[in-house]
Parts: sequence; structure tokens; C-alpha cells
Amino acid sequence: MIGLSSAGSAGSISVQTTSGRGATPEEVASRCVKKVISIADTADPAIRDQAQAFSNQVEAVIAHYMKEAIKSDRTTLYNILINSGQTELAEHIRRI
Amino acid sequence: MAFTGNYMPTSFKSEILQAKHNFTNGAHTFNLALYTNSSSFDASTTDYTVTNEVSGTGYTAGGAALTNVTPTTGGVVGFTDFADLTFSSATITARGALIYNTTYGGGTGTTEAVGVYDFGSDKTSSAGDFTIIFPTASSTDAVIRIA
Repeated sequence: MIGLSSAGSAGSISVQTTSGRGATPEEVASRCVKKVISIADTADPAIRDQAQAFSNQVEAVIAHYMKEAIKSDRTTLYNILINSGQTELAEHIRRI
Repeated sequence: MAFTGNYMPTSFKSEILQAKHNFTNGAHTFNLALYTNSSSFDASTTDYTVTNEVSGTGYTAGGAALTNVTPTTGGVVGFTDFADLTFSSATITARGALIYNTTYGGGTGTTEAVGVYDFGSDKTSSAGDFTIIFPTASSTDAVIRIA
């Protein structure tokens, strides 16, 4: 008899929630960098430390540029609101 | 009844042998629906259901579409992944999730289950973000793996 067997499995999903606010750029950057860089627990300590330092640096860069994107988007929103006569709301957006 | 862990539905195992699911990016559309702990999903689950699905601001019955990451391999393991999913400005409580294929076999509006996922405890967002974080896309952690 010839047969082949294989095992399928479902990994674990985690959840991150916020209340009364959205996620901060730092929180999103932390999730993002975990998608980009994976460091094995079994890696050589010297390499692991170097990889962790690189990961931290990438996370900071991602967070910075996310903040830049948010600011730029607010500028776009500000102009949309100004152009539609919502000057008070536009000012609120600008001051965030 | 309650969530009792993560399961790859038995029906799904048969369906992939019939080429009914395509996880390639841009191919089939998979949704993720959220459920309360009154649900009783396990390996015998075959389809999405509205029974015990969560309701609340920022959530629509049926859940939301996922972004597929094209399957790949690591060692002898084949695996696939999805991009994280956020329900924004949401006021909801969920204990687990069901991923299902809405374009099963190339159809539309289908409900075939792909995976059952237990969050381990109730998760709540209040006028905030409810974000589903998928594990690292690796041969040991990915959300759907075939060894």
C-alpha cells in the first residue's frame, strides 16, 4: 500500500484593541516591523542582537514616516474642509 | 457552548484537494467574521453563519474582506498569510473569528470555512480600533500551514 499523509494546522491570531482613540503610529509601526523582520529565538546571540537593533531602527523610521503621512493627510483634509466652507472644523483638524 | 481552540475545518482539507480555494493574492476573496463565546466552532465547522456573530458599531454582518498573501513554502511546510485587518471606530466584543471563502470554486457569495480562531478571551474595543493581527508568515507560525 502506498500513501502520503500531511497535517494541516491553523496558527494563532492575536487581537489589539483601543478604546476612545485609534492606534498610535508607534503601535502600528510595532506591528509593521514584525511583518518585515522576523528574528529566530534560536539565532546566534551576536546575530540576534544585531538583528534586534536593526529591527528597532526600522520600527522608529516607520513610525516617523507614518507621522509624516498623517500630517500630510491632515493638510489634505484641512484644505477639503476649507474649500467646502467648514473653516471651524478645518481649524480643529489643523490644531490636532 | 464556547470557543475551544483553533481548528482547520475537515471540510476545508477535502476542498483544497478539489482545488476549490485559491489563496493567491488577487484570486479568491476571504472574509473574517467575528463571534461571541456562545459559538461552538470546531473541526466539523463547514460554513460561515450569522448565529452568535458579533454586532455593534463599526462591524457589519459577514465581517470584512482580507488581503491575501500568496502562499509560499519553508522547508517541507506550505503556508499562507493575510494582512492585518482593522475594524475602525468599533464598539464590539469578540471571542473568536472564522475565516471563510466568499468566492469558493470561483463562485460568489459562498460561505465555506477555512479556519476557526480562538482569541483565548473576550476582546473589546470601545469607539476604537479592533485589529486582527496575523502571526508571522513562517513555516512554524503562519495562520494556515500544511506540513
